[in-house]
Amino acid sequence: MSTVTPTQPSTGRATFVSAGSGLSFTGLLKSESIKLWSLRSTYWTFSLVIVAALGLAVAMSFAMSTATAGFDPNTGAPMMGSSEQLFVLVSTTGLGLGQLIVAVLGVLSISGEYSSGMIKSTLTAVPNRLPALWAKVIVLFGYTFLVGLFSVIGSFLVAIPILGAKDISASLVDVAVLLPLLGNVLFLALIAVFAVGIGTIVRSSAGGIATVLGIILLLPTVVALFSIMVGWVADIMPFLFTAAGSEMITPNTMESWQAFLVVMAWVVVSLGTAALLLKRRDA
Amino acid sequence: MIQAQSLTKHYGSKTAVDSVDFTVQPGKVTGFLGPNGAGKSTTMRMIVGLDRPSLGSVIVNGKPYHEHKAPLREVGVLLDAKAVHTGRSAYNHLRAMAATHNIPTSRVREVINLTGLESVARKRVGGFSLGMGQRLGIAAALLGDPATLILDEPVNGLDPEGVQWVRKLTKQLAAEGRTVLLSSHLMSEMALTADHIIVLGRGRVIADASVADIIASAAGESVRVRTPHTAALATLLAQENVTITNVEQDVLEITGLSVNEIGDRAAAAQISLHELSAVSASLEDAYMKLTQNEVEYRTGDSSSHTETEAAR
Repeated sequence: MSTVTPTQPSTGRATFVSAGSGLSFTGLLKSESIKLWSLRSTYWTFSLVIVAALGLAVAMSFAMSTATAGFDPNTGAPMMGSSEQLFVLVSTTGLGLGQLIVAVLGVLSISGEYSSGMIKSTLTAVPNRLPALWAKVIVLFGYTFLVGLFSVIGSFLVAIPILGAKDISASLVDVAVLLPLLGNVLFLALIAVFAVGIGTIVRSSAGGIATVLGIILLLPTVVALFSIMVGWVADIMPFLFTAAGSEMITPNTMESWQAFLVVMAWVVVSLGTAALLLKRRDA
Repeated sequence: MIQAQSLTKHYGSKTAVDSVDFTVQPGKVTGFLGPNGAGKSTTMRMIVGLDRPSLGSVIVNGKPYHEHKAPLREVGVLLDAKAVHTGRSAYNHLRAMAATHNIPTSRVREVINLTGLESVARKRVGGFSLGMGQRLGIAAALLGDPATLILDEPVNGLDPEGVQWVRKLTKQLAAEGRTVLLSSHLMSEMALTADHIIVLGRGRVIADASVADIIASAAGESVRVRTPHTAALATLLAQENVTITNVEQDVLEITGLSVNEIGDRAAAAQISLHELSAVSASLEDAYMKLTQNEVEYRTGDSSSHTETEAAR
């Protein structure tokens, strides 16, 4: 009935281990991919990101193609910003919703393991623990990046014929288009990874989602509110996670690369704390 | 082979496992017995590194668990039937576990067949019964064809057929030379499955011996004799190391003498016997005797103590 290798009983250490297979990082990446794509929630969250991006791109393109205010009455060109900027705006607005969705997905990817008990299986397979976290982070980053890329390029392509009716055009390979698009996609993927860290720290879905959405949505408002009362608080505004994320794409108070470092600092603190706690806590 | 040395775990001020020493030998089924909260599960979690010992150490197959290059191939563990994401199918759960160690998908199918999960393998685990969850947990434990198996309450929720299957499986795995550690609070099940037993009570090892030795040490065999001449027989048999209790008007319970001795001596003295039978203590009796002072959550009797925090 069993397929195990029969050996002499009562030998101190029977050799059951078949050659050539052990724990490996590529194996962990594969395992985390299987985990990600074997849950329905992954499909609907990623679909939602794409639908939100394309949907808003279509809606905004149509709104702009019929609008007259804001456009030069003689030439039809946008009065504010270039047509490239217009295309970037149209292609990335929906990703704002996508940011909230992948934040939730990031938290759930690890909190779901805690709430279901799966984490025990994961950590017995990977007793050193941290490789499992890094594999999860890399896999989620990769797929979120791909989904984001698909969303913005799809949005751009959808916007071409609609805005083209108003003689507004831009090229995807134009640096003024491509870089902001890629910047948005990168920030999207980093939000997912940041959320994995928070989910690992908090170990609960509700708490993790509340924390991440609080940092993305609520923190800017709270800081803005305080800055009215205490002047210097306004200075920390650009260093908030989402503010730095948008400064990364459209620099305002700092250089793009500085904003990128601020975003990375948020990610590193989140994942670093997560790694420390994961290693130290009882599962 | 599992070797624990002064293994200790504190949760806050509560000591779940208290300086435990034991060795689990390969080639036999070792039962881990103890009342709820005795520290069985905590000990098992420490063996596979899920909980960090407060003091002491435990090694599996010669090394601390986390130092093995292929942990799933060294130790297969069933800690909690629901250590599976409920949204995932059994097949995908096993595939994800197998992928970590580059275990081929063919082995996933093998353990699915072995545990009889073929018909539900593609269904989401959330809808599984307790018994199917246990089978999936055992399938996951067998995935790496490990030299050591640690199964926490594997028969919990299984139907009689499943219980018998686990019994056969664990015995077979041990016969192949593997180390098998099995926890249960069902003494009757242990008596049928285990060769060796470690009894835990309030975080301490209170017995570590073969099943036969435990039964013998905790409760000696007694002989039940029914005779109209109880007084005469009692006088006849009275000697050192023999205890005679008059349990009913015409029934004596005798320890310290075998059935043969009693029968022969009664015949020689021409005392007629209406019944003569050996009463063997069960593992359950032995276990109750061993743990009567170690039960953490006692029913009825409130005199013991008031700790309420559950040891994991």
